[in-house]
Amino acid sequence: MKISDLLVNAAAAFPKDTAAVYLERSLNYRELDQAASRLAARLRRLDLEPGSRVAILFENCLEYLIGFFGVQAAGLVGVPLDTSLASENLNYMLADCGARVLIVQGKYRRHLSAILGDNLSIQLLISDKPIQADCPSVPFELLSDIVGGDGDENPLPSDSFSSDLNTLSDELAAIFYTSGSTGEPKGVMLSHRNLVSNTQATVEYLKLTSDDSVLVILPFYYIYGNSLLLTHVACGGAVVIDNRFMYPEVVLDTLEESKATGFAGVPSTFMIALNKSTIARRPLKHLKYITQAGGAMAPEVTRQLIAACPNQKIWVMYGQTEAAPRVTYLPPDMLEKKLGSIGIPVPGVEVKIVDTSGKEVASGETGEIVVGGPNVMLGYWNQPDETAEVIRDGWLVTGDLARYDEDGYFYVVGRKREIIKAAGHRVSAKEIEERILEYDKIAEAAVIGLPDEVFGEAIQAVVVLKSDCESDEKEIQAWCQKRLAAFKVPKTVLFVDTLPKIQSGKINKLKLKELCQAGAQD
Amino acid sequence: MPTVDTDTTRKEIREFIVEAFLFGDESEPFEDGDSFMQQGVIDSTGVLELVLFLEENYSIKVDDEEMTPNNLDSLNNLVAFIQKKKQKKQ
Repeated sequence: MKISDLLVNAAAAFPKDTAAVYLERSLNYRELDQAASRLAARLRRLDLEPGSRVAILFENCLEYLIGFFGVQAAGLVGVPLDTSLASENLNYMLADCGARVLIVQGKYRRHLSAILGDNLSIQLLISDKPIQADCPSVPFELLSDIVGGDGDENPLPSDSFSSDLNTLSDELAAIFYTSGSTGEPKGVMLSHRNLVSNTQATVEYLKLTSDDSVLVILPFYYIYGNSLLLTHVACGGAVVIDNRFMYPEVVLDTLEESKATGFAGVPSTFMIALNKSTIARRPLKHLKYITQAGGAMAPEVTRQLIAACPNQKIWVMYGQTEAAPRVTYLPPDMLEKKLGSIGIPVPGVEVKIVDTSGKEVASGETGEIVVGGPNVMLGYWNQPDETAEVIRDGWLVTGDLARYDEDGYFYVVGRKREIIKAAGHRVSAKEIEERILEYDKIAEAAVIGLPDEVFGEAIQAVVVLKSDCESDEKEIQAWCQKRLAAFKVPKTVLFVDTLPKIQSGKINKLKLKELCQAGAQD
Repeated sequence: MPTVDTDTTRKEIREFIVEAFLFGDESEPFEDGDSFMQQGVIDSTGVLELVLFLEENYSIKVDDEEMTPNNLDSLNNLVAFIQKKKQKKQ
């Protein structure tokens, strides 16, 4: 069984049911399956080698779904790209994965000259807008021409390419890029088995059915957004897309008008909703469940969410891209009793807490979370050394420190690696430090995450200027802005004479955090 | 209560947005009527900063119900919104 079978099965069982809604437009399962099949037929005619990568640079919309499932139906590997990234980052990812086709939304045409200048492997560009003027050297086709279905070219029936439904395929299905501790983004390779097994486990514990629909504000290129998409296609439910969470009232209106039964967010989603919207005053009578993942949410915020949404089941979940993504969930009826816990393993997944020698620790003791099961990634694309660091004897070493209680509920207590979780994004401190250090006025730089009510963590840069140099916060931020995605730009920049170090000469980030937090309280 | 000088207000808010969200980079300028959402100028946390700026600088209170694109999603909309709020106060 492959990811494409999720759509084929839904189209067979619920052909006329809504699969996705975006603003005034919608697609039912038959329409989505047909459009994906037509795109797949076009991609197959390129005669690409099996496993060739097709990158998708689209914000959440119906075309994203057609692109994603079209690539899957063609038996190729999808690479959803973060639309908020700078050209430099996109360029890196496209070159790294060696994408042969780029499916790109017209609104991101500004990246094309930089991308296509260096990525000669791309042999076809597909877009929703006529953007051939931006890429005269690469063959171009309009997505609407490919999937329009004028009758000249009947796609092969989608089920003619279905795989054995009883066994999950170990072939590579998708690559999701994520920030790594080494600075450069890492391509997390997920197989059909990884994604389908985790989708099925999630549908099982959330008890999703074809009557469910989820309001999606999280991007599909983000593994949590992708999980929302796959779980709801797997059960024949619907995704209601709204990209306007910057105006929470608009999204809440959509939530009520669409009668969506589910809503999903990261901690900052709920911070914003609770502090700057009318969520607590709305009846939300169709909303049955709320899921929260993407980083630890402060127990106080969970308490506020329970008070604001007393009639909804609230599911706190934990995972990571490398685990496709879900690892644990906290059943709603245990939410108040086990406040602050990430819950218990999802069906079919094993979770252990181990010490530095790999031995399991006793209840109450802190160790590192390791994960075993069909959801553990194949590895990082083109990075065998990085892969060997995190997959040991088949177990995924998460880098998250945790303990479990006498009832078997897990609690995350911190992170081993220097990854900052800012507004739901995983941000590598090292990548930002490297960019800051490229500025010729800077002698030393350290980047840390500080607790922030809205962002979860806020990025704080601490820098030492070279002698006789002058600079200010805005100058450093502007430097970063040109080289990094907006969410990676430090929120604050502190100028110091020296950085605290440990004996080996490494920057003492714990000490630095203490200094910054003490400074913030002054 | 003086009436709102729309040109000055427009200029002040533009300066704030360029400084706070574009970090002074005006290489990709936005028009007065451009949607911040469409242009990707401001994200969900940016809107909160923008509202704080409006409340502090124009002595208005932005209610949760008023956080909508009609009020906030372009320079033109922002200026009209501030004008409306000021008139209500008078």
